[in-house]
Amino acid sequence: MRRGLLILIVFATLISTFLVAEQVELKFLHRWPDPINQPFLENVVKDFEALNPDIKVNIQAISNDPFKEKIKIVLGTSEAPDVFFTWPGEFTNRFIRAGRIMDITDALVETGWIDDFVYSQLEPFMYEGRFYGTPYRIDAKVFMYNRLLFEKAGVDFVPETWEEFLVACEKLKKAGITPIAFGNEQPWAISHYIGTLNQKSVPEDVWLKDLDPAKGTWDHPGYVEALKMFTQLIPYFSQFPNAIKHAEARANFFAGGSAMMYVEIVEIPYVYRDAPVEFQENWGMFVFPNTGGPGNQNYLTGYPEGFVISADTKYPEQSLRFLKYLTGREVGRREYAEVGYLNGIKNLFDEDEVDPGTWDAVQLVMKAEAMANWLDSSLHARIWDVYSVQLQMLVDGVTTPEKVMQEVRKAADRVRAEF
Amino acid sequence: MILVFVYLPIVQNFYFSLFKMSSYSPTKQFVGLANYRMIFEDDVFYISLKNNTLYAVISVICQVGFGMLLAIILEGSFIGRKLKVFFRNVYFMPSLLSVTAVGLMFYFIYNPNIGLLNGILELIGLGDLKTAWLGNPKTAIYAVIAMSQWQYTGYIMVLLLVAIQKIPHEQYEAAEIDGASSFNKAIHITIPGIRDMIVVCTVITVIGAFKLFTEIYVMTQGGPYNSTQVLGTFMYRAAFAYDEMGYGSAIAVIIFAITFLASLVQIRFAYKGNN
Repeated sequence: MRRGLLILIVFATLISTFLVAEQVELKFLHRWPDPINQPFLENVVKDFEALNPDIKVNIQAISNDPFKEKIKIVLGTSEAPDVFFTWPGEFTNRFIRAGRIMDITDALVETGWIDDFVYSQLEPFMYEGRFYGTPYRIDAKVFMYNRLLFEKAGVDFVPETWEEFLVACEKLKKAGITPIAFGNEQPWAISHYIGTLNQKSVPEDVWLKDLDPAKGTWDHPGYVEALKMFTQLIPYFSQFPNAIKHAEARANFFAGGSAMMYVEIVEIPYVYRDAPVEFQENWGMFVFPNTGGPGNQNYLTGYPEGFVISADTKYPEQSLRFLKYLTGREVGRREYAEVGYLNGIKNLFDEDEVDPGTWDAVQLVMKAEAMANWLDSSLHARIWDVYSVQLQMLVDGVTTPEKVMQEVRKAADRVRAEF
Repeated sequence: MILVFVYLPIVQNFYFSLFKMSSYSPTKQFVGLANYRMIFEDDVFYISLKNNTLYAVISVICQVGFGMLLAIILEGSFIGRKLKVFFRNVYFMPSLLSVTAVGLMFYFIYNPNIGLLNGILELIGLGDLKTAWLGNPKTAIYAVIAMSQWQYTGYIMVLLLVAIQKIPHEQYEAAEIDGASSFNKAIHITIPGIRDMIVVCTVITVIGAFKLFTEIYVMTQGGPYNSTQVLGTFMYRAAFAYDEMGYGSAIAVIIFAITFLASLVQIRFAYKGNN
């Protein structure tokens, strides 16, 4: 009896030692160290670990701007995370070119995993015909507006064209209401306006060629036209845009300080979290007005954000398992319920399962012919460096659209010469 | 140890400055002195250099000059002992705070809509002077510099105070017997007596001015449109925001050369004065 027990203990010890030895540790890096997203992702990881006892996931979170800097450094070291957050487009493509991100095309296609996703949300993770990541949250830019302030100013229509938009702005201004809340201390905010206007003002083939750092010449007159249209909005913006953060402008907009704001649909949860009840009951949204330019007017500015796997991971199979779980249906449903985001999985919800604002936003995304990537993350870093500085100057009225594009062209020429 | 942790990285940094390389790419391309040529062709470099120099000049005047004045007043006989201790602590306290925390505090003070500064201006009838202090390229760098003066003048004052306390008291007694005024005592006894410490404080302040980084990073990140870039943020931006590690290393070499030269000049100047 005692001998049998001893054998059993030795056997159990050997098995557990074997199991422990088999457990692998994955490094997971994301960009949401805030009190809402961080606990959510910690719970996702705990649940994944419970389902996959052979994997332990170590989480690290770094906020938005420092993330952009840190990821470049860690990818060059042996401490690169196995699974990490990224913005598709040039931000990711440079890492792909340097061989730092794993190609997951075979895993997606051969197992039918690809069919889980809304294709338009997965496509941005494709580079030269191969897939490198999966979407974690979808995003797009829309104008959010305050119905009460529109009524007060006698704006009884939702602007669909650029001319109507300017008329609405003028009526609001005459009624003593700031038409548009705008916080551009960090110039990604203006990049969303200019990215949209560029896409709508320049023929699609030219616009796509110019986004490629190896080919972009930026000499189409549509870019100057886009900036001229933007300058028409400057008198309607809230005061001191270059000194105000986007979040500060949004808080002012929620409080009734201005009538409209160009926001991302991932900001809709803030309406229900932060805005006064009066605003929650009286807001609406509309897509960027038709400018009548030669670009496709049915595009929506915005791109999904997602996760990729390091090409240097020692555990590709386990990393894929984690990626599939992280960006899958089960986490997607919880993600909406707990943090308010939607991932890229098909038919994730029925209309009665989500708030009307989110439902409307998703319909806008689905109706769009295609998505136009954010200007700042689709440009080569050195072109964006010049563009962003020039755009802030344009907001302050110390430069002209022509001069802005002259500087952008110079930067693009320098970058192109290196390819 | 010093060789490995201090001098080797300096040499290595110079070596890296001769390459075009990114942090995540396994290859690097030798470009000789091209990174240095690019620096001298970059307008932002001259804005940064101007801002660092401006910061150094204002800091020497305010922190060392005004700090010395405060130290002389607080060591003078016309303030009671309790008040002396109180003011010493009041002036010294800001230097104990984290630069990041102070930066954030001033960020809110300078806020154009809810900031204290614009509120006070409005209150005292100077509403016309209201501006976006950190968003206006004409005022942003001065707003950051002002914060540093608020934080560090007390620190320099304490260093000078300690030096003043070491001056033999007999010198002051002799001067008083000769009928010297407080002003004359300060000019002929105190200032010559703390000359070495003034040089040390000036060196600390100038080197600090050229190593400036956190204040700018927290408050303006070099904006609006590069008007508040300094060499530290210029280097950081090149290396970490734009993946130009070789370019960043070249900027670091220039910062090293400037601070090294500035220290040499000041120390040589001080020695000459002593001789």
